[in-house]
Amino acid sequence: MTLAQQQLAFAAELRADDALPGEASPGMQIYRNAYRARLLSALEVSYERTRAWVGEEAFAAAACHYVISQPPRDWTLDSYGANFPAVLACLFTGDDEVAELAWLEWYLQQAFAAPDRAELNGAVLAQAGLDDADWEQLRLTMASGFAAREVRRDCTGLWQALRSGVSAGFVLEPADPGMLIVWRQGLTPHFRVLSAGEFAALDCLVRNKPFGAAATIAGEAGAAQLGQWFAQWLNEGLFSGFSLPRAPLARPPGAGC
Amino acid sequence: MSQTIQPFTGFGLGLRKEHHAEILACAQPLDFVEIISENFMACGGRPLHTLDAVRERHRVAMHGVSLSLGSAHGLDRAYLAELKALAQRIDPLWISDHLCWTGIQGFNSHDLLPLPYTEEALDICAANIARAQDVLERPLLVENPSSYLSFAGNCFSEWQFLAALTERTGCYLLLDVNNIYVSGVNHGFDPRAFIAGIPADRVRQMHLAGHSQGSDGMLIDTHDAPVCPEVWELYTCAVQRFGTCATMIERDDAIPPLGDLLTELDQARTAAAALAA
Repeated sequence: MTLAQQQLAFAAELRADDALPGEASPGMQIYRNAYRARLLSALEVSYERTRAWVGEEAFAAAACHYVISQPPRDWTLDSYGANFPAVLACLFTGDDEVAELAWLEWYLQQAFAAPDRAELNGAVLAQAGLDDADWEQLRLTMASGFAAREVRRDCTGLWQALRSGVSAGFVLEPADPGMLIVWRQGLTPHFRVLSAGEFAALDCLVRNKPFGAAATIAGEAGAAQLGQWFAQWLNEGLFSGFSLPRAPLARPPGAGC
Repeated sequence: MSQTIQPFTGFGLGLRKEHHAEILACAQPLDFVEIISENFMACGGRPLHTLDAVRERHRVAMHGVSLSLGSAHGLDRAYLAELKALAQRIDPLWISDHLCWTGIQGFNSHDLLPLPYTEEALDICAANIARAQDVLERPLLVENPSSYLSFAGNCFSEWQFLAALTERTGCYLLLDVNNIYVSGVNHGFDPRAFIAGIPADRVRQMHLAGHSQGSDGMLIDTHDAPVCPEVWELYTCAVQRFGTCATMIERDDAIPPLGDLLTELDQARTAAAALAA
């Protein structure tokens, strides 16, 4: 047996479901236990508040399901729980807040350690001396750790209640659907729920469409509102940079076609 | 790899987030700190900000857990690139990882899995170490892990395998004294024979740590307890053979206050000083 074959067999035995026949050697059992314990611990650390909300037993069952169905592939354990909110959405159908809370926990941690990006502020934009045509074509780069998703429950209120340790009496009131965004400004992760209108405008920029596209959505009647939102986004550090299409080069005299 | 790593004599601790504030608040009696490389690779924000601040105060050694030097399918190039980028940022004393494999074909166990000590494994490990050293443009330190099973068909002892790797690749060694003890008990070899079989001029760092005992009597490298008397005794033996190279206490679970670890580190200083006198 080659080393590659040996390692493939070892990896299969490591991952094998406990219910499979065959008794592992005491040494292999140590590796199997350590593998599962490490992954379960990673989920517990990443989803501390989700765990507190759904309870120890339900969380352990969901986490075990995840460990069996989603073997880790990245070199960093920090990325291991990335699909857990989606799995929770399937396991806790009818309890939307579980997956939403998990998503918020996950992306706050991702934002906390996301690679650094400079913050775009109003002064930098003012220095650029943009004219109306530039604003039409302006494209913005989002801040470090930016992420967004639709939410249907008050998961941010729940997150705060769990942080304060007062979740026992927390009542999940029906909430209008909104868009939850997460990002980092400086060293601090932030989150906020946006109205559908504000998110529609911001989403143009997130999708790398020009500022003119957001202005089109807002329309003449919404131009002032868009201006207010944009000023707020800049103050909140939602952008890390901007770009403009390169102006066509002037053709030097005498140049051929 | 013709580059050398000069000996560095000092006493350090693994940098753990529980101690960040204290380490940054005032001068601590540490000659170096060791980071888990993966905790700071491809990241920014407060973790990297903290590391930069620590680096202003202390020399830093980079210790990895995901290089997978024993992988039959070779190394992860993206991982190596991130490791190199971090090294360029913090100019470490050295970069170390383990004599193990962590995964294969896209699967990553996040554990230090055991290798058979065969000619084929030696060829593969040597090629992987050489490749890593070429990319990183520096020699590596390779650490002996704890292990809980051994393979039929081994051609070498673990120490013979490590010695052969140093000869073939020019790598250096990070000797984990606790791991020598744990594996010695688990596999029934004499830890002193391990130390005697290691080329003395290749050791640049030593780890000290605690372990626990499993239900079947095997020792497990849990890093959750103080260094035990047997490992202190073996450390004395190692210092007699390798001199007072960089030594640190590894603690990854049940992490005590910084003061407790500094006191434990003083025990290493005292033991090494007594032998040097």
